[in-house]
Amino acid sequence: MNARTRKRVLAVLQNVAILLFIATMLVPIVWIALAAFKQHVDVYQLKLVFTPTLDNFSRVFAAPYFLGDKLINSTIVATITVLIAIPIATGAAYAFSRFRLRGQTLLLVIILATQFVPAVVIVLPFFLMFRDLGLLDTRTGLVIVNLAIVMPFAVWMIKGFIDGIPIDTEEAALVDGSSRLQVIRNIVLPMAAPGLVTAGIFCFIIAWNEFLFALILTSKNAVTLPIGLALFKAEEGDLWNLMAAAGIIIMVPMFVLALIIRRHFVQGMTMGAVR
Amino acid sequence: MASVTLRNVTKAWGPVKGVDDQSLQIADREFLVLLGPSGCGKTTTMRMIAGLEEPSSGDILIGEHRVNDELPKDRDIAMVFQNYGLYPHMSVRGNIAYPLKVRGVASADIGPRVEAAARQVELTELLDRKPKALSGGQRQRVALARAIVRTPQVFLMDEPLSNLDAKLRVSMRAELKNLSHRLKVTTVYVTHDQIEAMTLADRVAVMSEGRILQLGTPETIYNDPASVFVASFIGSPAMNLIEGHLRDGVFHTTEGALMRLPPGLPRQDRGDVVLGVRPEDISVGAPGEGDVDVTVFAVENTGDSVLTTIRLGAERIVARGDRYQKNAIDDRISLRCDPAHLYLFDRSSGERLR
Amino acid sequence: MRDRTLKYLLVAPAVLVVGATAVWPLAESLRLSLYAGRLSRPDFPQAFVGSSHYAWAFTEEPAFWNSVAVTAAFTVITVVLTTLFALAFALLLAPGGKFRSGVQSLLILPFAMSPALIGVSFRFMFNPEFGLFDAMFTGILPAAASINWLADPGAAFWVVVVADVWGWIPFLTLVLIGGLASVPRETLEAAQVDGASGWRVFRDVTLPQLLPVLAVVIILKAIFSLKTFDLVFMLTNGGPGNATQTLSHYVYFNGFKYAEFGYASAVAWLMVIPMMVLTYFYARFVFDRK
Repeated sequence: MNARTRKRVLAVLQNVAILLFIATMLVPIVWIALAAFKQHVDVYQLKLVFTPTLDNFSRVFAAPYFLGDKLINSTIVATITVLIAIPIATGAAYAFSRFRLRGQTLLLVIILATQFVPAVVIVLPFFLMFRDLGLLDTRTGLVIVNLAIVMPFAVWMIKGFIDGIPIDTEEAALVDGSSRLQVIRNIVLPMAAPGLVTAGIFCFIIAWNEFLFALILTSKNAVTLPIGLALFKAEEGDLWNLMAAAGIIIMVPMFVLALIIRRHFVQGMTMGAVR
Repeated sequence: MASVTLRNVTKAWGPVKGVDDQSLQIADREFLVLLGPSGCGKTTTMRMIAGLEEPSSGDILIGEHRVNDELPKDRDIAMVFQNYGLYPHMSVRGNIAYPLKVRGVASADIGPRVEAAARQVELTELLDRKPKALSGGQRQRVALARAIVRTPQVFLMDEPLSNLDAKLRVSMRAELKNLSHRLKVTTVYVTHDQIEAMTLADRVAVMSEGRILQLGTPETIYNDPASVFVASFIGSPAMNLIEGHLRDGVFHTTEGALMRLPPGLPRQDRGDVVLGVRPEDISVGAPGEGDVDVTVFAVENTGDSVLTTIRLGAERIVARGDRYQKNAIDDRISLRCDPAHLYLFDRSSGERLR
Repeated sequence: MRDRTLKYLLVAPAVLVVGATAVWPLAESLRLSLYAGRLSRPDFPQAFVGSSHYAWAFTEEPAFWNSVAVTAAFTVITVVLTTLFALAFALLLAPGGKFRSGVQSLLILPFAMSPALIGVSFRFMFNPEFGLFDAMFTGILPAAASINWLADPGAAFWVVVVADVWGWIPFLTLVLIGGLASVPRETLEAAQVDGASGWRVFRDVTLPQLLPVLAVVIILKAIFSLKTFDLVFMLTNGGPGNATQTLSHYVYFNGFKYAEFGYASAVAWLMVIPMMVLTYFYARFVFDRK
């Protein structure tokens, strides 16, 4: 067969491979999604065709699971974390981007490095500190630890955005007589707004999915959604359809948010090491 | 025999036709330039000859051999890319040697051939450097050496000088001219720069919107353009194009009669013509001496000549004279067009009227 | 206010937050590791014991070495597998076009699943009675169906590996697609014209230019693998026995099931060392590109 036919065959094989790949990636998600709408019996029988029901969703919100409380906790903790982290990170990001600070590289490296510290290392001191301060099982405590996780991403992502804004407009404004703070407020913030929103969404996703700290530092009142999921685990078998419903509730907001910021995902996670 | 033939070649992406049913015959050892503005289809045409794009229809032959279904590596061609396409992780030596290495040439032979190619482009001292440690002109020579190390049937060059600064471009033109003369290989060269086309080509194909508008030697293209597009694309400063109409063998513009046309040009009365005359074919004199009296709009001394611009109604006419001309803005002068170098074009189609 | 003062003021809050929430706990954790700290006893912390926790981990505690072995094997295997698959898929998806771009967008979906969620899902699918995989295996590979995946120590390890690789492939694929996009197309076309077949173009031209991104991918995945907790907790909880107990889980177990805070802190700090090494190499890639 000549080169052209070989190229066509290869193209078909490639498309088949791509389809297999995306199927492998999506089948588990689809399976869980299906289970969320199944009755308990259908789960056991592995049915593909079944009568869907919304029962599971109403059950998880009722006693004894009260997923609704956990949903509220997750939302509040993630939102407040983002509302605190983004302004702080923006200030630092602007300074790192536009100024030369002494020890700047070192500071940036330290901020980068804290991202790679395993959560288990710092959860122990936090536990002790929160115990003494009465912050165990509070949303405030969770916000504090989530700030720890989220801050390095926020600083690096926003710095990346500000680096990409041309400095000309700011310099023109400074020459015209604006103060630095006015420049930040009137020029930089509006231009960086999409970047700030993206970083905010990224940090929201991280805080929403955070697991270890929520596991250890909460017990009853401040439990978040991922830990709520773990509560279904205690009693086996019966509750997979409920767990799937809870899983859907955790996943769907994240899907939506992830789709919104998908262009910046790689840049955010690698903190500028790629692209 | 390394001729290149295109027969009714079309490249279309959906409704958009990059190359529209074009045929072209390039002789063995000919240096053919594809000239035109960006988007005209010249690069697409060359990439189809290379095998980097597939024609939507039509045949491409190298020698007597139809190559539509062959991969680039089997067509025995070499190519110099616009951004050179050097392998950044290999040394200059590695770059030049790669075509030989990948085709299985014995390693004992590779060394001397690389050295020979490097010598032809004067790169022998830089063989162990990496591309990022080279200047633009040096990188360009590495790309050339990599192309000539194999003595292929056809050379393809995609705007190789466009990323060099102006001075370097001029000296590299001369280098290319000498190199191609020595190597005697069929060459297809793509550029938007009409000076490169004029100086390097045996023949030029002027392209626009996927079609070849005129194919001919540089002299022919320059002195006998087939259309307004070709006439105004070649030559710098560009040919003066004056709109008007013909009556009784006299060319009139909106300002009035301009000149009586010499014999040899079409004489019927027509409403929509364009008169073309190159700046170097217009001479400046005292009022009353030439075809028409005008007022000077601008004077530019380029060092080797003086360009005098005058305003005629809404049009501008540029005349090129020798560098000792002394006119000032608002002077009254006369213009005389050389009757041997006048062109008439149809205004709507742009075609040359003969 | 002058720029000189302002810039430090702008940076200060972030530095304070990072210092208070990350640097201080790190130091405090080190301090804790030097004390015998059994949390359940009222006189917490107990005596200063210096480095004896560390010594004990290395010499007296097989469970520690088990965690080290599990973590090391897990890290190496997942890094290799994820990188290979991600590279293959990136090569398939990189060329572009509507079909491939659409698939690329879909890749975000698995990535938005947190590791805890992935753990639960795979536990569901590997269930011996009604798990999806059990059903699939019964149809295709009966030998595989007979294994009780989550109850067999060897098998459970591989389930965790599969779940982890599955979860990280989309992200690494997207990173590598970005890396492939940054390889200039002209270098590939030049190689094609020079005479290289598809495989040789990849080996001689694409791969060498992809190495920096590949290194970033490998280091990043290694760091994430070393840290793994959520997935293990939800999928196997370290079991059966401690067959899948990674170091993070081991620390959690000792700290919060046995309440041995001092010892757990010591082991946790041992984890920091390879992290610092990897972070150093990673930082080189982040900063060299400036």
